[in-house]
Amino acid sequence: MSAPDLLLCLHFLGGSARSWAPFSRILGGIPACLPVDLPGFGDASGATGFSIAAMADHVAGVIRARAPARFAIAGHSMGAKVALALARRSEDGEAGLEGLTDLVLISGSPPSPEPIPDDRRAKMIAWIDADPETRQREARAFVQENVGTALDPETEARAVADVLQAAPEAWTAWLEAGSREDWCRRIGVLRIPGLILAGSEDADLGADAQTALTAPHLAHHRIVTVEGVGHLLPMERPEALAEIVRAHWRDRPQADAARAAQVPSAYAALIGSERVNSRLRGALAARAEPDDPAYAPEALDPVELAILRAACARVLPAAGVDLAARIDTRLASGAGDGWRFVALPPDPEAYRAALRTLDAAARAAQGRPFTVLDGSNQDALLTLAERGALSVPEALGGRLDGDRMRFWFEDLRADAVRLWLGHPAALARVGFSGIGAGGDRPGPIADGLPGFHEVGLDAPEPWEPRATQAEVVR
Amino acid sequence: MNLDGMRTYRTDESVDAVIVGTGAGGAPLLARLAAAGLKVVALEAGPNFTPERFAFDETLADEIYWTEERLSGGSTPEAFGANNSGTGVGGSTLHWGAFVPRADARDLRLHTETGEGVDWPLSYEELAPYYERVERFIGVSGPQSYPWDPGRRYPLPPVPRNAPAQLMAGACDSLGIRWADAPAAVVSQDFESEGGPRRNACINCGFCHQGCRNGAKASMDVTYLPLALTHGAEIRAGAFVHGLERGSDGRVTAVVYIQDGQERRQRCGAVFLCAGAVETPRLLLHLGLANSSDQVGRNYMGHVATQVWGTFANEVRMNRGYPSSLITEDFIRAGSDFAGGYLIQSLGVVPLTFGNAVARGRGLWGQKLLDYLDGYNHVAGIGINGETLPCDANVLTLSDETDARGMRKAQISFGYSTNEERLNAHATKVMRDLWEAAGAEDIWVLERVAHTIGTCRMGRDGSSAVVDPVGRSFDIDNLWICDGSTFPSSLAANPALTIMALSLRTAEAFLAAGG
Repeated sequence: MSAPDLLLCLHFLGGSARSWAPFSRILGGIPACLPVDLPGFGDASGATGFSIAAMADHVAGVIRARAPARFAIAGHSMGAKVALALARRSEDGEAGLEGLTDLVLISGSPPSPEPIPDDRRAKMIAWIDADPETRQREARAFVQENVGTALDPETEARAVADVLQAAPEAWTAWLEAGSREDWCRRIGVLRIPGLILAGSEDADLGADAQTALTAPHLAHHRIVTVEGVGHLLPMERPEALAEIVRAHWRDRPQADAARAAQVPSAYAALIGSERVNSRLRGALAARAEPDDPAYAPEALDPVELAILRAACARVLPAAGVDLAARIDTRLASGAGDGWRFVALPPDPEAYRAALRTLDAAARAAQGRPFTVLDGSNQDALLTLAERGALSVPEALGGRLDGDRMRFWFEDLRADAVRLWLGHPAALARVGFSGIGAGGDRPGPIADGLPGFHEVGLDAPEPWEPRATQAEVVR
Repeated sequence: MNLDGMRTYRTDESVDAVIVGTGAGGAPLLARLAAAGLKVVALEAGPNFTPERFAFDETLADEIYWTEERLSGGSTPEAFGANNSGTGVGGSTLHWGAFVPRADARDLRLHTETGEGVDWPLSYEELAPYYERVERFIGVSGPQSYPWDPGRRYPLPPVPRNAPAQLMAGACDSLGIRWADAPAAVVSQDFESEGGPRRNACINCGFCHQGCRNGAKASMDVTYLPLALTHGAEIRAGAFVHGLERGSDGRVTAVVYIQDGQERRQRCGAVFLCAGAVETPRLLLHLGLANSSDQVGRNYMGHVATQVWGTFANEVRMNRGYPSSLITEDFIRAGSDFAGGYLIQSLGVVPLTFGNAVARGRGLWGQKLLDYLDGYNHVAGIGINGETLPCDANVLTLSDETDARGMRKAQISFGYSTNEERLNAHATKVMRDLWEAAGAEDIWVLERVAHTIGTCRMGRDGSSAVVDPVGRSFDIDNLWICDGSTFPSSLAANPALTIMALSLRTAEAFLAAGG
């Protein structure tokens, strides 16, 4: 699959359709770009409807008017959140949006509330409808603060002019409401492939933020960090953007049939033999089914699921089973194991609070989200949790105290290991023979089951499987 | 179990007794009262399983555990669910380990002996005939000579000693500790149950805790419950009891329950609560009944059930064979600084149980966890069942959280006191020594609490006990309790055999009193 027929381009806060002009020129019509002025910006500065849903409606109208067969949406910053909302509508089957093939998210504002510091938000709201001189000065400063290296004078002048053209109500609406709208659960997990771009000099919406807050929504994505670039990639480096986008279309991230943990053939043969009863055979087959890479969490939100996946990768580093998704399924089913620590809230709530606390701890200690830390730094935080020493002030996002994190981490270890050891690949790995003690027999009292004749030391029966990894671990 | 052709009773007909729960407490007395010609109905909250479902898999066995949530607190919070709480016709005996030591006579008069704990309001001599009746009826396999009770005879020869048992026997020999094949309620030979199905000899599959597929294990659904049906008892599955109706004299007139989403009431002359040491007190606290002593929910006990695990050069394959096929009672009186004692058993467990213990109790995670699990076929354990004394701080109360029916959840606060701490320290050292003597490497200790005991203690005085020595409520004379909740202290022995013996004893007392 190559480039789509049409690329809708949605600008950032203070930008406009014109922000895309250099990029569009470089693409040279392959595909054709259709930059859109969002309500309150550019030539649409008189239009209203500033919520994410209203902006998405506006763009959906543009798409329907053109009725492209195959189209992509590039969303920049604010525009990325609108693009994600449209992608959800497309995947939900909304008429006229069926042809969406790709998302290109540039320094995107994530589906979750965007982490804009309160003082900066207040300052931006204050100057947008100040006197003309202040507006001119602050608009220029705004553009300059958002780039890695200075724009050429002509591009900068155009960018400043766009900011000044924006309707103050639209500007304020984004800062006060749109950027804070929580679309995390509504966007869910998308199957449409996505290219996620980040500037290395972007303080707030760089690669870390994209990994933590945007990538969890895209089952098939690629994250590319562009060196030396701040928040305004389409204007800072339009040629680099074009090159990355073209390369992406030549080689999209595969809808990889998530490499499921494989059951060795000898163990599979045991499972298939008459030593194993049908109910168990069916259950083992179901557990061995590959996990859906676009698994849509129900108890957790996609961002929390990503944190749980990262934690599970440290707690039980067995490839090929999405333990986090399976834990979420269990949490959503309401099925428990008959008890919980009284100190913890109900399981789904405990998981959510604990994962957010873990992430807050990473941010407090390392200034980075948990999901982007390397394994040893993640382990260090989990070790603190294990010891009851992971403590994050509530003001910094801590939701469970050290004792509760210790209880939760014990539950997590148990949940992960129980799910793993139910998987036939795990049973094969440890060489578990118990599944072969009996097959199907009619009646409530089974006659003639094989069971075990040998039960003593150093007396394996010939058919019993052996551990595949190690004989004795010391 | 097969309920076809079962006699049934109308709910507006007043039956002689309704029995709430079909486990070790309810089933024997159901059979005994039915055999005496009484009209009896058992109400079981769980479903009626057919053993065809028992599939040699831990996850699939979740359905036989009581998985409605309980809140566990205190300094040693206890796990419920698969650890000790069952559901279904047969109750917890569907998943029980069938390890059936009798109580040691001294444990019943612990206070007299040591000044600690309490005496039971009955003696071992009173219990012994009931033990013998139960062992004979359910088919207990065991040694032909029991070192700690030379006169005792078990009806069936022992089940084979599996690899953990062999390791423990060797270690005991080298340390001069006596051992014996474990008394197990698992038939070592094909066995004809009176009034029940022919049960096949144990096939050593190792899945006792996941439901026995061939009737070898003495769960109630292949023993006392079929016998009860042949004598005209009725068992209603999926019947969750949440109310008791009483007459103007305060006596129970009907039991109120939910079945198939409908609220129903069964009129009755008497009710027996046999729902276990969590659900029985929960129901009484929910109803505010039979509690003039203020003892309902108090003195909750779990056994000290610490385990020691180690890795052996030998191929152990601990999933094979009856899981706890060796016992020593040499430590029923062991330490000078604590009252009571403990028994030790050999242990083999299936993978999820093992992984859960390793992840929770050993705290392993990451590559270390995976590596350790890889050694599964070389691991064996030993564990204790140790005396827990009644304690004011250990209490079952109702949480402010409610279940799906709107009934408040049980909240259990449990922690060791000095006696349990000392006993545990003693036992841990003995077990470490044993496993070192056995040649184990990488030895580690799993702190664990087992069983559900206490909360409706029996006694001679209604001001300090909920029921009298035969299980009758002091407050409501046609309300009886028969399960682990009436135990005044935990005893070192695993509780189920004693619960069954008490169940027959309660039935006899009820019959002797004229019903």
